[in-house]
Parts: sequence; C-alpha cells; structure tokens
Amino acid sequence: MNVIDYLENNSKKYPEKNAIISEDEKISYKELYEQVQNFSLSISTLNKQGVISLIAENSISFIITYLGIIKAGLIVHITSTEISEINLLNQIKSSNSQLIVCSEKIFDNISKYSKIKIPILKLSELKAVSNIEEKTFKENQIAHLIYTSGTISEPKGVGITHSMIEFTTKNIVNVLGYSNSDIDVLPLPLYHSFGLGCFHTSMAVGSTVILHKDASHLQNLLDSIKKFSATTIAATPATLTKFSKLYNTDLVDYFSNLRLVITNSTAIPKSTIQSFREILKNGNLATYYGLTEASRSTFMIFQEDTTRDDSVGKPAPEVNIRIEQNGNSRGEILVKGKNVISKYWNNEMADENLIDGWLRTGDIGFLDKENFLFLKGRKDDIINVGGEKVIPFEIEEVVKQIPEVEDVAAYGIENEIFGQVIKLQVVKSIESNLDKSKILIHCLKNLEKFKVPTKIDFVEKIPKTSYGKVKRFMLK
Amino acid sequence: MYNDKDLKNETKKIFFEVFQNMNEEDFSWEKQQKDYENWDSFAQLNLITFSEAKFDITFSLDESIEIKSADELFECIKSHLT
Repeated sequence: MNVIDYLENNSKKYPEKNAIISEDEKISYKELYEQVQNFSLSISTLNKQGVISLIAENSISFIITYLGIIKAGLIVHITSTEISEINLLNQIKSSNSQLIVCSEKIFDNISKYSKIKIPILKLSELKAVSNIEEKTFKENQIAHLIYTSGTISEPKGVGITHSMIEFTTKNIVNVLGYSNSDIDVLPLPLYHSFGLGCFHTSMAVGSTVILHKDASHLQNLLDSIKKFSATTIAATPATLTKFSKLYNTDLVDYFSNLRLVITNSTAIPKSTIQSFREILKNGNLATYYGLTEASRSTFMIFQEDTTRDDSVGKPAPEVNIRIEQNGNSRGEILVKGKNVISKYWNNEMADENLIDGWLRTGDIGFLDKENFLFLKGRKDDIINVGGEKVIPFEIEEVVKQIPEVEDVAAYGIENEIFGQVIKLQVVKSIESNLDKSKILIHCLKNLEKFKVPTKIDFVEKIPKTSYGKVKRFMLK
Repeated sequence: MYNDKDLKNETKKIFFEVFQNMNEEDFSWEKQQKDYENWDSFAQLNLITFSEAKFDITFSLDESIEIKSADELFECIKSHLT
C-alpha cells in the first residue's frame, strides 16, 4: 500500500466524505482522487521521469500537486517556502530537478532568481489532459525528497520510499490509535516530515484533515477545533506552550473533544506537559522522536506518571535503537528499522552515517532500564573543555532550575588555555534581579567544575527554529 | 567602592563558593595553589569566572594564569577596581 492506494481506497469507501477542509475550500475523497489523477497526467506530459520541485504554502493545491507528482511515478522534491536563493540553487542542483511548481506567492519571489535555469510554473498553469495511464510502484521507489536543514554544513537529500511511508504510517496509526472517525487539525507545514507524516496518516485511515496554513493564529486553531469537533491536533512544542500560557483556563472547553495532541521531539517544557494533563480531560499528549532519515523512531504517550516527562518514549514497533556509549551511559543514538533510509541522495560522504542499516543520528541520549529514550543534545554541540566533553543540554537543565531563569542556551567559545569554555545566554524573567553570581553559585553547587560556565550574557531572546530547537550556530 | 576589608571578605566568599567543602581552618590568604587539594585548572577557571562576574571586571590571560593564592586573587581584583 502506498499513499496513492490509500487515497484510491478512500475514494471508493468514502467518496463524499471531506478529505480536506482548508481555510477557504474543501474537497471530498472522490474529488481529491480525481484531481490527483488529472494532475498526474498533466505532469506526465512535461516530464517523463525524474524529480519535480514543489514549493508552496499549505493548501489543497499543494496536496493535489504532491500526490499528483507521485502518482505520475515521479519524485517530488519538497522544500520550505522560506528557502533562500542559495539553498534553493543547491537543492535544485543536487536533486537534478527538472521543473519547479510553486504557488503564485512563491512564483513572484523565485522568478527573480536569475541563476535558476529550469522552468518555473505556477500551480494554476498546469492543465489536465485525458487518457489516464495506470502506474504501479515498486516498494523501494522514492516518493519524495526532502533536504535536511543544513545549518553550517551542506544540506543532505533524503529520499523517502513508498515502503518507508507505509511502515511509518502503520506505526503512527497503531500506536496513536488513528481511525476514520478522526478529525485532524493540521497547522504544520507539509514540506516538513512532521506535517507530511500526519497528512499520510489521515489519508491512510480516511479521516478528515482540517488544514491550516500555519499555527500563527492560535484563536483560528481553537475555532477549528470547536467548529469541526476535532479529535486530534498536531502542533510543535512552541505552539503548545503558547496555548498553555495564553489560554490555560479556557482550553479545557475547547479541547474537551480532543483525544490526542501530538507534538514532536524537541524538548517539551515540563510545565507544558503538566498543563496539557490538566487541559486534556478526554485525551493524551504524545510526542515522538525521529529524523527525516528515520521518521517516528519512538513514541511517547504522556500518562499520569510524571517521572518520564523528559523522555521521547520507547522505540516504535520493529524499530531498534541503541546507544553507542563513550565511557558513560550517554552516547550517540543509532536507529535501525524499515523507517530508516538505506542511503542519502547522491551523497557518499553522508552515507558514512549508515552502517549495516544503522543510522548514526548525531543525537546524544540514553535509554533507561525500561527502554525509554532520553535526548540530551547534538553530537555537534558537544563542548570540549580541556579534554572534558560537555553536553550543553546538561548545563541548560541545571540553569533552568533557577526560578528567575526564563530560558537559557549553553555553547562553547574558544579559550586559549582550555580550547573551549562554556558560555551562557540567559533570558531572565520579567522584573527579576537575577545576577551572574547567583547563576555561578548555582552551577558550582550542581555541576562539575569543568561544566561551570565562564561567560554569561543576559539576552532578550534565544534564537530558535520554528520547532523550538536552539539555533546554536547563531549564538557563536 | 569597596574598602580593603570588604573586598577581602568578598574575595574570601568566592573561595568558599568555589571550594564548597573547604573549612574555615583550611583557608589562609598566603596558602598556595599547590597546597589546596582541589585547586586544579578548572577550579582556577571558576575562581576567575566568579571574580569577573561579581566585580564586573575582566582578567587578562597572564593574570588568570599567575594567580596562585587568595592574596594574589585579592590584589588582582583590587588592581582592577582602583
């Protein structure tokens, strides 16, 4: 079964059921399948094989185009609407994309990029032709191509096969209990693995997706939840934290019908988890750990027991996780399973991260006795203080214990004697008189000597991605 | 501004923050780095860091290396504040 099979089956089982409701239109399963078929034919006339790039905001057109390209037997390269010219050029070159299909808004931007030599078409310019040609897919055929966000290094292309999508979707459905009676609010970008995985899940079970362009308007999301009697919502930890801070008292009513709030692997503040325990009277908060290269490798459903609130859960069914230990219980996380890519897209250097089916994730963590996984940072972020390895996360956890600390990021800076020492950026809570000495005293009491920061800056805000991950390269 | 007595008190407090398990009788102004059980390079770094944060001063690399006793730390801090 692939994502096109999901759609075709649902178009027969629930032809009139709404597949997607967006902010300004809706489409049934039958209509969606027909439009995907038509679109696939329009693409077939343009390009017999290869890669087509899709750049667009969340919309029904995005979905028709995404599925249409796949149905045409081609590979859809999806990328962020915020992508810079240089990154887009790199991705076009690496993917060998033959054509860009984009929204009107994106067209206005990228048509100015003089170095892009391949055709750029607006979604509205692609017209359907007749004579439907049936396509069959091999399991290991790539459906879509996503580039992992390169921060200081070259982005790596990750080709996701039909079998990987099927495996991951099956795990999501089984572990999180999705069914055709679900109504799923989806405000995540579809060009990201998190959002796309949620969409595949809805298509697999035949539920209805309430598609939002983004999560910037919390009230719109709340209105959707209520209006459509939604049963699930997917959102980043940052969105959930905003919800819990802004709407704490009213959320219980809005969320009373929700059975599931799913978020992703960035560390979720414990206070947010606790808030959602109270808000969700009839449901659960859940998270997962995964990379584009190894989607949904663990699942965590937060229960009443609070002792594992900082865990990302247990390995997904038929997914193996091990820790490559380096003298202590923490080490690099390795993942193996049918959700893991077998190779990167034309990138032999990146392929060195794949050994005998095991993906070296570059993430640091540990497994407890019951096989719950805990994340402790990135291998690249490790600070080497005079030969002693320090994980920034560990310092940040300790500093966050100080009540006046709103947020903190730790990172390494060059030092003539030690090679590197630790610097902190700290966001103080409003009206706090917290000073550097208090932070240092707390660190001296709670950390080994080499882990005590040597420089502290008070800042207004820590630079973070939309997924809540600290942009450490911007701190240095 | 600190007078010598206050500054000595503050410097001594830094020592007791960095060497958490130190007793009063283990401290002396003249006692040298080599005679402290835990005064290694990281403790040196902590002393410097704590002093810089507390008095809003910055030691040079040479100063950071040359401090070998509580008295030398006191004198170094004093030189930055006067």
